[in-house]
Amino acid sequence: MRILEAKRLSMRFGGLLAVDQLDLQIDEGQIFGLIGPNGAGKTTAFNCIAGVYQATSGEIFLHGESTSGQRPWDLCRKGLARTFQVVKPFATKTVLYNVAVGGFARTSVRARAEEKALEVLESLHLAEKKDALAGNLTIGERKRLEIARALATEPRLLLLDEVMAGLRPTEVDEMVRILKRLRDGGITIFLIEHIMRAVMSLSDRIVVIQYGKKIAEGTPREIASDENVIKAYLGEEYGAA
Amino acid sequence: MTRQALRKVSLAAAAAIILGIPVFVTSPTYLHILVLLFFYAYLTTSWNLVGGFAGVLPLGHSTFIGIGAYTSTILYLQYGISPWIGMIVGGFLATIVGVLIGLPTFKLRGAYFALATIAFAEAVRVIVENTDYLGPFKLNGPRGLQIPPLNVGFGNLLFNTKQPYYYIVVLMLFGVIALTYLVSRSKLGYYLNAGGEEPEAAMALGVNVARCKLMAMAMSSFLTALAGTFYAQFTLFIHPKSIISLDLSFEIAFIALIGGRGSIVGPLLGALLLRPVSDFSRIYLGAVLPGLHLIIFGIILILVMMFQPRGLHQPLARLYNWLIDRLIVERTVKLSPTKE
Repeated sequence: MRILEAKRLSMRFGGLLAVDQLDLQIDEGQIFGLIGPNGAGKTTAFNCIAGVYQATSGEIFLHGESTSGQRPWDLCRKGLARTFQVVKPFATKTVLYNVAVGGFARTSVRARAEEKALEVLESLHLAEKKDALAGNLTIGERKRLEIARALATEPRLLLLDEVMAGLRPTEVDEMVRILKRLRDGGITIFLIEHIMRAVMSLSDRIVVIQYGKKIAEGTPREIASDENVIKAYLGEEYGAA
Repeated sequence: MTRQALRKVSLAAAAAIILGIPVFVTSPTYLHILVLLFFYAYLTTSWNLVGGFAGVLPLGHSTFIGIGAYTSTILYLQYGISPWIGMIVGGFLATIVGVLIGLPTFKLRGAYFALATIAFAEAVRVIVENTDYLGPFKLNGPRGLQIPPLNVGFGNLLFNTKQPYYYIVVLMLFGVIALTYLVSRSKLGYYLNAGGEEPEAAMALGVNVARCKLMAMAMSSFLTALAGTFYAQFTLFIHPKSIISLDLSFEIAFIALIGGRGSIVGPLLGALLLRPVSDFSRIYLGAVLPGLHLIIFGIILILVMMFQPRGLHQPLARLYNWLIDRLIVERTVKLSPTKE
């Protein structure tokens, strides 16, 4: 079952073509990686998919249904959740409050939203922090809080924008375990990540983009040996070697 | 006694004290001051629904007070309709205006939103000041409208003494505080807080931030207009300077900022602190320099913002919780003396 499809997706900001004719197909149950050098247009692509930007051209389908004209909150109701590269906690509120905001996506009853929030916090090992203010968390905890909030909306597809950036190696390993468990629980994951060790071990498929264009797609093994990818990351002279 | 029960008892005691004041304070002057104090507490609590929870700073709420006051007064003077009905009509009119203001301005961030609301409120004041008749309705321009103190009684929301006004405004205040409490624990309250703090994150979590803000604005403008009617019936004289002026809008914001924006009883605390300051500085220093009370306001605001940037509500809430904890601990110690 295809959960997300982008057809010739382009996003232009004035003279800059941030995403250029990007095609994506993501099947349900996959962990799908999106990598590329800084400024390649990864986050812009995410923002188009999540409804923050309306794509300049091209189309996006969620569960086979076009998402054009839909805003982030509409897409959230349809089972798409995302995290932000620069975490955006509701800093003056408790962790439980933060996650309960997500929980309200599926209910109007506070007790049920909080119940959902607690359940998610348990699964991400954040339950003991539930009464702490979100602004007082460590960066690792904030990254997990971002995921917790997104999960509380009960998504089918989860877009993760660099959730491992800034984490210690042990925290990265924990995050990898968490994401695998989420995938096994039936959530499709689409992630942008710079930590190669994590992307390579997690992803079922990877797309590499540069200057907004797709330059390679395949399994982690194929990507690791792809000449274009090596050039993009390490420069021309390495590609020739 | 559990913590929860203790809180309920202390709240009930506070309510009883407030309701009992007119039994002991019979001087009309002091009652007048107290009525205005609770009137401001009510206004600020209504304002807080949008100014506190939604994370924006509206500085034009005097428009809604004016709409409430003028609507009920015109209906009463020209058509003999009870101000109670006029109050509700004014509320709905203000709701419509509030939503119309909110639609374009909620897209603005921070100071731009505040400026837009100021501009709107000033425009309304200038229009009213220069309009004698709006269609069949007599606004009477800058001279304002006077309500003759005849036919007193509950039905006309007109009384010879201050006590009935006191009870009405206090009950209105209790009502709006209860409503704020309910909203803050509801989905709307969570969504308003989230949208006020991090709109992008809130949207990604399914929050239609603009719509939530409009709902808050609708409630806030409705409730604010009710206070306008009350004010008209209490002072029996309204004119644009008294009721649609920026001073009024600013004072509401001052009270909220000092008491604690976004907290449930912050507005009441702010009014309890600032209103006496305002009244007594006006009484004793008014002859020295007009507007001196606003300067004093400003100084207090600066001090509070420096030492308690989130308002007086926070340290007071901490004190309250500490007191309750102390009471509970003392009781448990007494109940189990062997535990030591």
